[in-house]
Amino acid sequence: MYRTAAKRLFSGASYYYNNARPRLRPPQISIASYRFSTSDIHPRTTNNPFQIPTTTIENPNTSDSASSSEADDAPRYDNRRARAEYQDEQSRVLQASLPYVIKLGWTEAALIGGARDVGLSPSIIGSLSRKEAALVEFFMDDCLQRLIDRIDSDESLKNLTPSECISKLIRIRLEMQAPYISTWPQALSIQAQPVNVPTSFKQRAMLMDEIWHAAGDNASDIDWYAKRTVLGGIYSTTEIYMLTDSSPDFRDTWAFLDARVKDAFDLKKTIQEAQHLAEAVGAGLGNSFQGFVGKVFRR
Amino acid sequence: MLSSTSASTLHLHSHATSFGFKEVKEEEKAEMVGNVFTNVATTYDLMNDLMSAGLHRLWKDRLVSKLNPFPGMKHLDVAGGTGDVAFRILESINRVRQRGLRDVFEDSLKADTQIYVCDINPKMLNVGKQRALEKGFGENGSLIWVEGNAESLSFQNDSMDGYTIAFGIRNVTHIEKVLSEAHRVLKRGGRFLCLELSHVGIPVFKELYDYYSFSVIPSMGELVAGDRESYQYLVESIRRFPSQEKFASMIADAGFQKVEYENLVGGVVAIHSGLKL
Repeated sequence: MYRTAAKRLFSGASYYYNNARPRLRPPQISIASYRFSTSDIHPRTTNNPFQIPTTTIENPNTSDSASSSEADDAPRYDNRRARAEYQDEQSRVLQASLPYVIKLGWTEAALIGGARDVGLSPSIIGSLSRKEAALVEFFMDDCLQRLIDRIDSDESLKNLTPSECISKLIRIRLEMQAPYISTWPQALSIQAQPVNVPTSFKQRAMLMDEIWHAAGDNASDIDWYAKRTVLGGIYSTTEIYMLTDSSPDFRDTWAFLDARVKDAFDLKKTIQEAQHLAEAVGAGLGNSFQGFVGKVFRR
Repeated sequence: MLSSTSASTLHLHSHATSFGFKEVKEEEKAEMVGNVFTNVATTYDLMNDLMSAGLHRLWKDRLVSKLNPFPGMKHLDVAGGTGDVAFRILESINRVRQRGLRDVFEDSLKADTQIYVCDINPKMLNVGKQRALEKGFGENGSLIWVEGNAESLSFQNDSMDGYTIAFGIRNVTHIEKVLSEAHRVLKRGGRFLCLELSHVGIPVFKELYDYYSFSVIPSMGELVAGDRESYQYLVESIRRFPSQEKFASMIADAGFQKVEYENLVGGVVAIHSGLKL
């Protein structure tokens, strides 16, 4: 019981106070909360009195003294339509903020500008859990969606070889952030903040997935990881290269990208061999380790 | 404790409400609460520091950081007589300005930041005004002191960006009326935040907290403020306040969205927030 209690104190959970453990509370107090106001309270009895919500650590940036009820709790009070409305309004604010990003960067100022433009009080920004990161993540999702639409609609992509297709898709994707290139280092630094890393990593992984999928790859073996890692490497290095590229229309970037994709496809042929090598090395190391441990214990 | 047990077994009269553990007539509660705060106004901040061991400052800081104030904001702080929350909001906005947000909002700065401090009790407001002068907030006109009732605010519909009520909603007669008034005065996108002493659910800590509340605080009140009754009322009214979950659902019923709450110090205080859309 006390371990549960400690978990509650430290891990940031939210819970039903009255309902969860009625016997621990002196009866007059638990009654008191319902008697507090007599006028017109309709006690809501929608919650199962014996249900204790699962303890989750959803929001990595809450302080340790605090328990938060971010997205997790909202469904209990809001009906589905209201929640959808909130999501819509949030997307509208974020969408309207993007034009401000070019001038103001990925900042709260851009969000305030966006909120004003859609006729909402900028106070709404306070309800976004990670403000600047929410904006960057919205942009990443938006770009991914546009890329998927492009993949679905552009028939010419299907006639390309995998390497051409990959290079083309990375280019399409990176061109989407060309207008924001002067503020993109800031976006990258926001994505690299520890609290934001899980989401940005996931978004990039999804992007790699889409690109490989569009290039006609449906592997599900160990190659899957290797391929995505290689592509992630290409994408990220090209993204970084682009930041300092001053050639017209990022010509140097695209040349760099093509060269990296070509390198990777050359490398791909040797991946299988590299795997065998790695296995061999692993086995060898394992043997010597076993030998070492054996010696130690024999003594 | 004993008297409260017997009180709760009494049949509840339809026009009765609670004053601490006592049942009183609805009309009388406002006056009785008024007396409490008139009695303690001068030592209010000192007692807050003593009772919470200074923690109430951190709680209020947390409230303001959740509010995320911005320049040009129109904010209403209800039951904020001594100005604690209002000063913090103003300081936070001044910091934001220094960070260089100013150039972005040239237009909105003409419509300058306005923080309305509303309190039903003139004594508390006087303490606040005095402190504003001492802190040097007197001259720039961002703070506006209004005497008024949280259940019937004198502000227009859709006129506020933010609404805070810190340690106040417990003392009102009709919580629903206060919530619906808050919803009325807020603009779309405006946020409601409430900092309130709430319910501790952690077993051992709860016993300690109860002992502290019922034994230490009233004596402390007697010693420092010379008023045991008022502080007895304080601890009793905390126990009478709806639980975090129940209060959150009341906020949702008033029409707010994205209703959330955050417990601080295991539930000694909770910050509830809602968004008007």
